[in-house]
Amino acid sequence: MTAIREFFRKYGWSYLFILPSMTTFFVFVFFPVVWSFVISFQKYSIARGGMWMDPFYANYIQAFTMLQGIFVTAIRNTVVYTLFTVTTNIFVGLILASLIQPLSHRLRTFFRAAYYLPAVTSAIIVGMTWAYIFNGQWGFANYLLRLVGLAPLRWLSDPDIALVSVTLSAMLTIPATAVVLYSAAMGGIPTEFYEAAELDGATGIRKWWHITVPLIKSTTLYLVVLYTIASFEVFERIYIMVPSGVGNSTQTIVTQIYNNGFKDFNFGVASAQAFVLFLIIASIAVFQFRFLRSDVEY
Amino acid sequence: MKRFIVLFALVVAFALLVACAAPTPEPTKPPAPAPTTAPAQPTAAPAQPTKAPEATKPPAPTTAPAATVAPTQPPAPARTAKGGIRKSTSGYKGTLNLWVLGYTPGNAFANPFDNAVSQFMVDNPDIKVDITGYPPNDEGFAKLTAALQSGQGIDLLRMASDRLPQYVAEDLVEAIDPYLTADDKADILSNVLDVTRLKDGKAWSWPLWVVPMGIYVNKDVFAEAKVDLPPQNWTWEQFVDVAKKTTFKRANGEQVYGFSGYIDPGVVNTWGLWMNEDPSVRPVNKDGKFGFNHAAAYKGLQRFADLALVHKVTPPDFGSQKDADVKGGFTNKQYAMIVDATGPAAQFVAAKVNFEIYPHPTVNGNKLTVGAVGLIGVAKMKDNVKRQAAMDLGRYLTSSEVQADVPPGSNVPTGFYLAPGARKSVKIVAPLDKFIPMLPDMWVTPLMVNWAPLTRLIHPEYQNIIFGKIKPEDSMKKIAPEADKLISGK
Repeated sequence: MTAIREFFRKYGWSYLFILPSMTTFFVFVFFPVVWSFVISFQKYSIARGGMWMDPFYANYIQAFTMLQGIFVTAIRNTVVYTLFTVTTNIFVGLILASLIQPLSHRLRTFFRAAYYLPAVTSAIIVGMTWAYIFNGQWGFANYLLRLVGLAPLRWLSDPDIALVSVTLSAMLTIPATAVVLYSAAMGGIPTEFYEAAELDGATGIRKWWHITVPLIKSTTLYLVVLYTIASFEVFERIYIMVPSGVGNSTQTIVTQIYNNGFKDFNFGVASAQAFVLFLIIASIAVFQFRFLRSDVEY
Repeated sequence: MKRFIVLFALVVAFALLVACAAPTPEPTKPPAPAPTTAPAQPTAAPAQPTKAPEATKPPAPTTAPAATVAPTQPPAPARTAKGGIRKSTSGYKGTLNLWVLGYTPGNAFANPFDNAVSQFMVDNPDIKVDITGYPPNDEGFAKLTAALQSGQGIDLLRMASDRLPQYVAEDLVEAIDPYLTADDKADILSNVLDVTRLKDGKAWSWPLWVVPMGIYVNKDVFAEAKVDLPPQNWTWEQFVDVAKKTTFKRANGEQVYGFSGYIDPGVVNTWGLWMNEDPSVRPVNKDGKFGFNHAAAYKGLQRFADLALVHKVTPPDFGSQKDADVKGGFTNKQYAMIVDATGPAAQFVAAKVNFEIYPHPTVNGNKLTVGAVGLIGVAKMKDNVKRQAAMDLGRYLTSSEVQADVPPGSNVPTGFYLAPGARKSVKIVAPLDKFIPMLPDMWVTPLMVNWAPLTRLIHPEYQNIIFGKIKPEDSMKKIAPEADKLISGK
């Protein structure tokens, strides 16, 4: 007891510094997360509060079975979207960062800034722009198809194509964060490695593949986790590009959570689906950490 | 520091280059944004039980002598107190918070209410009315519901009838029966008032107007295509015929389409065009069962889908088009006809669109339109004096006096009323009077448990039928068991 008192007498003041951020975290993050988990077992109304479901997991059953099992379709759509966007974003980010790395410091800084510009553009604006590009009647994508003599497509109104169009829009957007982080990581690799490789006769591509790529593996892990989480939470792009849906082909996990929570006010099922999303993301993140973690130090 | 200056200069140069770049070539002119929109169409109701799922009998038509619209008329002079029902007898001193669907300062839904409220405040100097707008979408309704549930900052609300069941079930709005005078009872169309009787036989809102869907016909496009306007009592065959004839390519390569409409889980704008196949084609039949899974419904759905699949008179994205694109395309003469509610009429007048309003074409002699009722509700409150004042404002905002106080003028092309009023005494003006003959054939969206999930169940199937991905029979049979469960409230 004396030791605890002594600890707080000596260090207690320092906790005051983290008090504001911890308060914010508990009030706006921790408490809502715990509360939504509780709600996932309840029939909840803002006015009347919650009533426990019987059986207690009924919302989870309903989450997967209601509306012709649309949540399962939404999970499948989200996984497809994530696979393609994460892979492309990582690859494009790596290539672009590698291309600007040999440039002078000023040019590198310029390109980093230029590539980051889209990241500060509102997701709403980006979504609206892509919606215009893919408009079936007067969109730019069909204009290009007509130029080369191809028939126009119903990019955002054909259930077989709509998810591809939305995914393509994400793939064709420059992954600003990846470019900047990869560029910074490449800048931190000691030049001695490259000099030694050159003495051994290694070419540019070989140096890149055997030195650069392995040594930025920790950055790759971070980006894969970051982009996976962001892709699983895709919402604005879908909501802006195809607000009325295209059959069920563009439904994702978060659009389902949104529909149940804010269209039907079925907070219990929405919370259950949100918790399922949390489990999926956490499982994938653990898997990614296990197989991509790096022991490289330099 | 020098590096930062260089970097800043480069960024500025880059921005200038982007700004000065030549515009991207486009095949045809995209439609300009529609006039500020605030659709009056019925929205999907959130789930909450109150009343048996039953289509409400359409209201009787109101008398409506057509008046000339005068969009260039100057604004009304300074207001003076007029008394009558404008004067609240409550003795309340303070603020009333009025939430208005689709209200954005300066738009078609804002100006009528701004004008009306200013008259009410002149007659009641001790009462200040603050208006809050909320958009006709999910965020707007979530915001409205949260405000009602918190009991803060909201005293009256303008809403569509399909929102009412949830608010009544959760005890968030006041019954108006104690405040209905003999004059009110004699004046309000009884079948419209009945729409609001959801619990204990009480009326839970002031009926404002009735909102049917009509076919908007762009006369300029018809003239350009050298197609005569069809008769008002047109048939489906005549509708398809003119839709085909008005689907053409302009000399500049721009494609014009004969027909379009907004299709979304939250609206039923296009439903009347295939529900008119037979009176049995209703989402909820008289026996309380799903009513889209039988031969007549399949036939109607296929007939409607054939507009896109066979006749090809609709734009490529028909079925998943945005509301603004539909209205914008009509305004910009890219669509000859659209189906929409009464609300856009005032917007099209303001935008100087040369248009005519038609009822839905008949099928097998069946006349039908679909729609909802606009309401003014009073939020639950404990202060009796304030409640009386709110009721007085609700009565005024649904009266014929408000139309007299806010006549057609520069910023209110059709006066206060944007749809046929719910009182016999309300006189509406052209072009809204064209909706009057449709009212006897109007089917009102049922106020029922699980209407929103039901529409979410139907919508993707409806879209897939229009996209030609599934047959109506397969689609509707597939969802029928779950639809029956939703209708029964399970």
